[in-house]
Amino acid sequence: MKNKRLVLAFILITLMNPFSAAAQERISVAVAANFISAFKEIAADFEKKTGVKVEGTFSSTGNLYSQIKNGAPYDVFLSADEQRPELLQKEGFTEGTFIYARGQTILWSANEDFCKASTWKDALKNDKIKKIAIANPLTAPYGASAKAALQNAGLWEELQSKLINGQDIAQAFQYASTRAVDAGFCALSATSSPHGKVGCFYYIPEAPAIVQAGCILKRTKNKIGAELFMHYMMSDPTALVKKKHGYR
Amino acid sequence: MDYLALYVTIKLALVTTVVLMVIAAPIAYLLAYKHFPGKSFVEALIYLPMALPPTVIGFYLILLMGPRGWVGGIWESLTGESLLFTFLGITIASVIYSIPFAVQPMKSAFVKIDRRLLDAAYILGLSKRAAFLRVIIPNSVSGIAASAVLVFLHSIGAFGVLLMVGGSIPGQTKVASIAIYEAVEMMDYSAAGFLALSFIPISYAFLLLVNRLNEDSSI
Repeated sequence: MKNKRLVLAFILITLMNPFSAAAQERISVAVAANFISAFKEIAADFEKKTGVKVEGTFSSTGNLYSQIKNGAPYDVFLSADEQRPELLQKEGFTEGTFIYARGQTILWSANEDFCKASTWKDALKNDKIKKIAIANPLTAPYGASAKAALQNAGLWEELQSKLINGQDIAQAFQYASTRAVDAGFCALSATSSPHGKVGCFYYIPEAPAIVQAGCILKRTKNKIGAELFMHYMMSDPTALVKKKHGYR
Repeated sequence: MDYLALYVTIKLALVTTVVLMVIAAPIAYLLAYKHFPGKSFVEALIYLPMALPPTVIGFYLILLMGPRGWVGGIWESLTGESLLFTFLGITIASVIYSIPFAVQPMKSAFVKIDRRLLDAAYILGLSKRAAFLRVIIPNSVSGIAASAVLVFLHSIGAFGVLLMVGGSIPGQTKVASIAIYEAVEMMDYSAAGFLALSFIPISYAFLLLVNRLNEDSSI
């Protein structure tokens, strides 16, 4: 009998949600995967300064966008493009958008020899390169930018069989970093991470620059916290953090 | 280590198990004792989630529970909140995802009960309901326990359905299996490793328990 009571007590304690007390003092942010490391640093500083807790959910921009349209309870959306926040505005999910970062697509490899060619195009034409990671162009803006660069260079058709789709830019980088692929189209921000410092990369002039916009969602229950966070995102201390992580 | 994700996983598995035991018992009873037209079709329908890719279940649940789906629409007009991306949402998903694992062992436990016991109960004047509660349930405890443990294990392991229906919201829908996936994606192998490692003893112990229960019920 005693055991049964213990089990029951355990179940009851587990089911009571111990994390709801400070619900007002927290905001939930949907973050495009390229911005994860910068976001974590900014969110930690923001928490220290304001006491508002920030929770991040990370995925591809397209995935987060469809979640928001299906009613996901985020307060702020940090997209990897301008297009989706603007769509959300048109569709009535937000009142306005803001640009918080500008990113750049690069071609990264864990193998230093990869970067000995004179251009990124020559590097990819090498027969030794069997697999190239790219974030899904349909859902990930960095993937779309890489696709545009490949099309521009006339390599899109030619390299089709070598391209490996990642769910989002973080996965594309993971494939490249673990050497599951020979090279990968990544975000410049990836090179500032401990894993990113180990390899080498090419800048891709043909890749359209990535303008990353965000928005506060109308359904937010903590508008003050969300606005505070938005202003903090645009402030001088965060500009330094963004720069450190490869954004302008 | 991501204790919050582990907590959501355990909470989800416990709630799913409790809910499914209540739902599955009458279904298993019908399947074990009643004969009705189209029974095999009903039975196949109940086991369907086991045979479908989790993404198929996830897709239909998004349609059903989304703001324009009828369940999600009704819920939103009642509460003003979305059903997707909430703990309740993933609980519903998890219940549907695990229903075969609740019904099947329970049904076979019910079938194994000696008919003469039941006949004696009816002759002694017990109603169907009383016979169910006082004869069938006590005589199939190990089968019911096996089904509870299987549901618990299956819920712990759920991933694709929960990712589609729940997103990955910390404290709400970010379960340990999703936390592991994200940690791997971010190459945080120590975080992924600790969480992954915590699954193995739990799942192994529970599987041993299922085996023990199955042996008990076959005597």
